[in-house]
Amino acid sequence: MNEEVMKARAADEVVIKADGVKYSYRSGERVSRGVEGIDLEIRRGEFVVFLGRNGSGKSTLAKLLNGFLVPDEGIVTALGLDTADEDRIYDVRSKVGMVFQNPDNQMVASVIESDVAFGPENLGVPREEIEERVTEALETVGMSEYRNGSPNKLSGGQKQRVAIASILAMRPEVIILDESTAMLDPKGRREIMETIMKLNREKGMTVILITHYMDEAIEADRIFVMDSGRVTAFGTPAEVFAATEAIAAAGLELPVAGKVSLELKKMGFDVPFAITDEDLAEGVCRS
Amino acid sequence: MQIVIQNLSYVYSPKTPFEKVALDNVSFTVNEGDTLGIVGATGSGKSTLSRHLNALIRIQSGKILLGDIDLSQKKPDLKEVRKKVGMLFQFPEYQLFADTVRKDVEFGPKNFGMNEAEAAKSAAEAMRLVGLDMGEIGEKSPFELSGGQMRRVAIAGVIASRPEVLVLDEPTAGLDPAGKREILELVTALKSSFVKTVVIISHNMDEIAEYCNRVVVLDEGKLIADTTPAILFNDSDIIDNTELDYPHTIKIKRMLAARGFVIDTPALTVKELAAGVARRLK
Repeated sequence: MNEEVMKARAADEVVIKADGVKYSYRSGERVSRGVEGIDLEIRRGEFVVFLGRNGSGKSTLAKLLNGFLVPDEGIVTALGLDTADEDRIYDVRSKVGMVFQNPDNQMVASVIESDVAFGPENLGVPREEIEERVTEALETVGMSEYRNGSPNKLSGGQKQRVAIASILAMRPEVIILDESTAMLDPKGRREIMETIMKLNREKGMTVILITHYMDEAIEADRIFVMDSGRVTAFGTPAEVFAATEAIAAAGLELPVAGKVSLELKKMGFDVPFAITDEDLAEGVCRS
Repeated sequence: MQIVIQNLSYVYSPKTPFEKVALDNVSFTVNEGDTLGIVGATGSGKSTLSRHLNALIRIQSGKILLGDIDLSQKKPDLKEVRKKVGMLFQFPEYQLFADTVRKDVEFGPKNFGMNEAEAAKSAAEAMRLVGLDMGEIGEKSPFELSGGQMRRVAIAGVIASRPEVLVLDEPTAGLDPAGKREILELVTALKSSFVKTVVIISHNMDEIAEYCNRVVVLDEGKLIADTTPAILFNDSDIIDNTELDYPHTIKIKRMLAARGFVIDTPALTVKELAAGVARRLK
């Protein structure tokens, strides 16, 4: 981790805050729960993962955090701005970028560099600076050589990296990925996770990842577990997964290493509980 | 019913600058009773291959035999083909269309010529097989259901026509861990019904290892392996030579081996791996 990143983290600055946040979806007479009573704080430079079953409110919360949705009750503050303040909503959305699940739905242009330039163009960024931002963003995600190509020819992982570059070109301070690895092959998933880790560890970007993959969650600084619209647990991956009953109750699973270590414990072996493949292998060899 | 694929090749936009070889001389056989996994990177030809299996794509060159139906003949009986081979696309919940669950699930069987009563019976049975109750949610809109339920309704809609072969394209993508497991257990359970053979396309190696008895690997349109998960993940370098991944259980087994802790199990599931470790620790 470089010095600047260390400093930013040490400052302990809260970049996103939710305070008593409630949101329901309404269509005609019908009201369905989105989230209820969310309180949380995310600090600059953190890599946070949201886990929870389908319908637990993860995506609703993500959309509340960048002002895509505005709370019915409570307040969301992003970079010091109240997301309910209509005059500042574009500032919020350019500072808190969002990448979605389906790479094919996020491309707007027929040439990759135009796609990446679309955001800053809309923000009215001067031409030379757009050029600079596009170059930097494509470099960060490792897609510079495709700059003049067409998005249609890319693999899923490459498309998602371009989608991330398009967000980076807006110079956000927080980036939210809503199941952005769900439709990718193993290589695509690895590419996205490497990109996320690089953004977070080297550039100090605050990253919020929503995922159903437990092996992605174990990389996080903190995990928030959601169920029925509420945060039911949070902490480091080791803490959250150690509460095995709460994990099961939330419709989640342990990472494979965790399942194997539990299984061994049931058989009476004294192997320490582990959530990563390495730690399990290490623990087994030592016991 | 056996499915025989012989020298199948397919080219998109042939003789244009956009020409792309999707399948290149692919041959293999799916036996009745198989749960066959098809793996490969995005763009390796998996979907093109699966679409051939129920004649959504016309054969350009090569041959496919579905039991005694020859798909390469000029006019195969498409209705018969699609009745025998049910196909579940990616994110099938997006393809639900009717205003009630009942109409959605009964659509297939009616389309294949069953009368009202037969279709209703077949649809109710399909719902029961996927663990849902037509009496309870039949009159609901499919869009009121949870993601996992919608996917099960979509599967019911396919199996209501009583196919012998079920082809599933990424059946667990986007589902939570409990939902994934439900779908895979369901697919396994279906094999004691009229569904005799299952073909699963998946990016998830953990699932392939646990649920399939055979696996074929596609790489840039070529078939580079036709084997079992045990051999593919334990006794071959195929995974290293593609951009695929090992299941976590195998990764752990290999890490143990690198530390001199060698275990005598293919380690395709958590239970197998734990049992292998236990034997060695004793």
